[in-house]
Amino acid sequence: MTDAQARPVTLLVAALGGEGGGVLTDWVVAAAHAAGYPVQATSIPGVAQRTGATTYYMEIWPEPTSALNGKRPVFALAPAQGEVDIVAATELLEAGRCIMNGYVTPDRTHLIASTHRTYTTLEKMAPGDGRLDADGLRKAAEALAKKSMLADLGEVASESGAFINAVVLGAIAATGLLPMGKDALEEAIRATGKAVNGNLKGFQAGLDAGKQTAEADAPGILEDLDAIVAEARERLADFQDAAYADQYEARLAPFRDGEPAVAVAVARNLAQRMAYGDIIRVAQTKIRKRPQAAADGGVVHVTQYFRPGLAEICDILPPALAKRWLARAEHDEWFASKQWAMELRTTTIWGFARLSFLAKLKPLRRRTYRYGVEQNAIDAWLDDVRRAAVLDAELGVEAAEMSRLIKGYGKTHARGTRNFKRVRESTLLPALDNGSDTQNAVRESRKAVDAARSDMRADIADA
Amino acid sequence: MSAERSFAKEVEQLRLGDGETFRGEGILAVTKALLQSGVSYVGGYQGAPVSHLIDVLVDAEDMMAEMGVHVETCTNEASAAAMLGASVNYPIRGAVTWKSIVGTNVASDGLSNLASPGVIGGALIVVGEDYGEGASVIQERTHAVAMKSSMWLLDPRPDLPAIVDMVEHGFALSEASNTPVFLELRIRACHVQGEFLAKDNVKPAVNARDGLTDPAKFDYAHLPHPPVTYTQEIAKVTERLPKAQDYIVKHGLNEVFEGERADIGIIVQGGLYNVLMRRLAVMGQADAFGNSKVPMLVLNVTHPLVPDQIIEFCKDKKSVLMLEEGNPEFIEHQINSALRKSGVDTQLYGKDVMPPAGEYSAEALQQGLTTFFEAVGIDHPSATPKADLRQAGLDALGAPLPPRPPGFCTGCPERPVYAAIKVLEEEVGKVHISADIGCHSFATFEPFSLGNSILGFGMSLASAAAVAPFQKKRSISIMGDGGFWHNGLTSGVISSLLNQGDSILIIMQNGYTSATGQQFIPSSAKARGDHVPGMTIGETLSALGVSWLRTVYTYGVSNMVDTLRDALTTPHQGLKVIIADGECQLAKQRRVRQERAVSLKKGERVVLPRFDVDADICTGDHACIRLSGCPSLTIAPNPDPLKADPIASITDTCVGCGLCGAVVHADGLCPSFYMTETVMNAGGGERFMSTLRQGVIAMMAGAAHD
Repeated sequence: MTDAQARPVTLLVAALGGEGGGVLTDWVVAAAHAAGYPVQATSIPGVAQRTGATTYYMEIWPEPTSALNGKRPVFALAPAQGEVDIVAATELLEAGRCIMNGYVTPDRTHLIASTHRTYTTLEKMAPGDGRLDADGLRKAAEALAKKSMLADLGEVASESGAFINAVVLGAIAATGLLPMGKDALEEAIRATGKAVNGNLKGFQAGLDAGKQTAEADAPGILEDLDAIVAEARERLADFQDAAYADQYEARLAPFRDGEPAVAVAVARNLAQRMAYGDIIRVAQTKIRKRPQAAADGGVVHVTQYFRPGLAEICDILPPALAKRWLARAEHDEWFASKQWAMELRTTTIWGFARLSFLAKLKPLRRRTYRYGVEQNAIDAWLDDVRRAAVLDAELGVEAAEMSRLIKGYGKTHARGTRNFKRVRESTLLPALDNGSDTQNAVRESRKAVDAARSDMRADIADA
Repeated sequence: MSAERSFAKEVEQLRLGDGETFRGEGILAVTKALLQSGVSYVGGYQGAPVSHLIDVLVDAEDMMAEMGVHVETCTNEASAAAMLGASVNYPIRGAVTWKSIVGTNVASDGLSNLASPGVIGGALIVVGEDYGEGASVIQERTHAVAMKSSMWLLDPRPDLPAIVDMVEHGFALSEASNTPVFLELRIRACHVQGEFLAKDNVKPAVNARDGLTDPAKFDYAHLPHPPVTYTQEIAKVTERLPKAQDYIVKHGLNEVFEGERADIGIIVQGGLYNVLMRRLAVMGQADAFGNSKVPMLVLNVTHPLVPDQIIEFCKDKKSVLMLEEGNPEFIEHQINSALRKSGVDTQLYGKDVMPPAGEYSAEALQQGLTTFFEAVGIDHPSATPKADLRQAGLDALGAPLPPRPPGFCTGCPERPVYAAIKVLEEEVGKVHISADIGCHSFATFEPFSLGNSILGFGMSLASAAAVAPFQKKRSISIMGDGGFWHNGLTSGVISSLLNQGDSILIIMQNGYTSATGQQFIPSSAKARGDHVPGMTIGETLSALGVSWLRTVYTYGVSNMVDTLRDALTTPHQGLKVIIADGECQLAKQRRVRQERAVSLKKGERVVLPRFDVDADICTGDHACIRLSGCPSLTIAPNPDPLKADPIASITDTCVGCGLCGAVVHADGLCPSFYMTETVMNAGGGERFMSTLRQGVIAMMAGAAHD
């Protein structure tokens, strides 16, 4: 190796604020020092430490200081694209960010990435599913890295009782690219004097985590019609009774002979619409979940947060009374804005009794105002789907899936219902009436649904 | 002085003596170098990347007392700059520090009036050059300030021995030329981990233990006051400048490195040396140890330049490349002018081959060097253009990834205030919001996206002064308690009262300057050395005559909504102030965790609260997240096989701040949220009640299941 070609080992750690990237850096620096290798580390913590993405960069000279005859390598302070030997990311998207920035290259980079996700706010706040395609990230990692080690290091950490930084350090050591050995790194962990045993265990677990661990399968959404129906029957029998489940099957029946995609979409959405969330349903769900006594016989208190408004109260009133109240609300702002904020301690007898009373109203549900409203809406919606499916199966699916706009409770639910109505009237109804250019209607409707779902705090504009 | 971090280990390093090896961060090396230089006093205002300088000195209080070094935690950069006034009249060395150009701007009044009479004791200003990647402020350079005030600017190579050397020279240069000196350090240089051989600390001759018996005698020449200001202005150029240039040459502050290609050369700002050397090595023009084929002049002093030195470097060269980050290219212009005047016809490359503005990253340098080398006929191994590597990454991913900016911490007391504003905006429509510097500026990111302007630290209310009169709805200004004491009290509150403004001001009272590491402020419950400053924002405002004043516990979102609505609609004319009260959760958790551990050990009753989401009730609409953005409130796969959208979910990092429950009440959100309080070391009575309740509830539940 001539001087001109000699180069440092470069290491980029991508982490989130609060994950201990600074400590990890200190370990590497201390270990290199102890083993006699020149080293330099930098970071740009700044405000990024407040939960944002941040990076730490290290360079280590592969020969010990004693062999350099007084020469000192000039270390760079920032990573350069295409010149990083090890990229270690504590989270999958941050590995992706290193890829996006050109730090992961096939000729050089060993990529270590934890496959767990800490979602960004943008992904979390989307009303539906805003999550990034994790498979795409994994494939990009494997395509661009010289070698890659993808595993859920967060899980490895919690299994070994360590922080993730210790596990990542182990994984870095496992690349064999650092000039100093595993002993020096372990000694650095010991020298820190904090959580030493846990971190040593984590370090070892990181060393061993060379092979990709299988991802736990997320409980997928059902695609098989019979399975959906079975699930739906059980839910609706619980929601109301067996007759209600029969009614579900009767409603679904006309779609069973048609396009399977339409039938599946209807089956799924119909079950959700029929098991709508009124106070009775919420109470029923809540009383079922009771905290187990703490292991040591300790005490656990549970407080539920509710704030039903006039609309939610009217839901469970007889139609005549509910209509009268809602009519009054139209010209009485004070009355319309009535809401009852409640903190119910369901671990007290009185708190539990109140919820349990509400749950017991179930047999009376068919006589409530909301029940009628929902059944009419469901029938109208099914009629739309039926007409749409005749014209174009894709439009049928679209009409069925439009139900996903109706979500949530209270204001969110009201807004979703309004948005549903608007999208239906502006995109679906014209196509149903003309029967022409159904593909355009599919596109328009999809666009409008996406727009509504991207900002659920706003009513979509009238088309 | 920082609640966030203890510097006990670093304090030990400050005591190192001759020949011992200091290992640590760049900014801490500067701190040690100050003590080696016999500094008498140090002051500053916190901010990345220089906060640690003052933090560590405060933690080293005993040692400072031994040495008689006075350390001041200033209330803003102006008061720090004014401290240097001690070196105008007395032969004592002083250093002050602040984060960057934004601090320098606040300090400018003092600095100008310091630079005009000049100093007799060395005066050093350590400033973070918060420029480029990771910078958190507007992108401007210190260079222009140094030039306009005729102060000298050191930009050392980012290598600990070089940095330490320049601190020591900085004081001497300041004294030799009677001029205050800036030492600028880029972000990464402040945080670089390296080592240097320490020297003994020098106890200052004039120190707080052996004080001066007499004050300085009256000398009008030391005042920046006409008519002496005219002579001072001339002396800056005719006396101090040549003395400085002499010192720079005599002590070799700028470094010349010879190389085999004597017909060309590179002049570079010291701070860029390392990134340049790496590029030269990659392009086959240098080895990894700083030996370059291309001769180099490294400017560790970027103002003033020494024209003779530059001409000497350039005169036998056909082409020279000037690498100067930022815009305008002050150095390049000066060199061009010097060359022209001396009749040297070296061709100077600079901004014509380099990007006109922005950081000189590896990417930018490689591009510029490639053009330069081609122009001067240097064959270099062609490295892959960096832009192509970025493109390859992007292609593999398919689409750009969502950003992950910093945000409010789990349980942050400021988050609920923005939730309240969002809830209220739904009711009353959008209002103009003047934002400020501090953690609360994270509200400009998702999910809140709130804030129409940011004009500087503590400036929110002042920046609404001419907005409010033209708005039908009252505008809301938001500042932190840090910003309030830094500048907001005078620029904002008093100005508004004087002008009978009709604005609303929210002051986030969390007890510290939290964004910079939780340094103490005048209204902190406890400050340096457990001293209780005892100043309160509420009493201060009352004393000034603010009559519409409410203090609202931030986590009570409904209460905050009501208070804000009241402020927007009340017939009361004049300033309306809401103190949003809630301690910085980072600081609080650090304290609570300790207290809890102690209580648990003692067997005392401890309640551990946390929130959860009922998966069966959540419909996956994420309305709660759009009012929160809390790191512990996230999403998880929907356990319901009929639903595709992920549900909201709360991780184990929840600190039970109560916001999730409070927004349910304030916004009528879904009933998914519930709070679990686990009681540790519960008493016999509580346990008995709990068992009894569980028994009864189990019976009732059995009955409920018909």
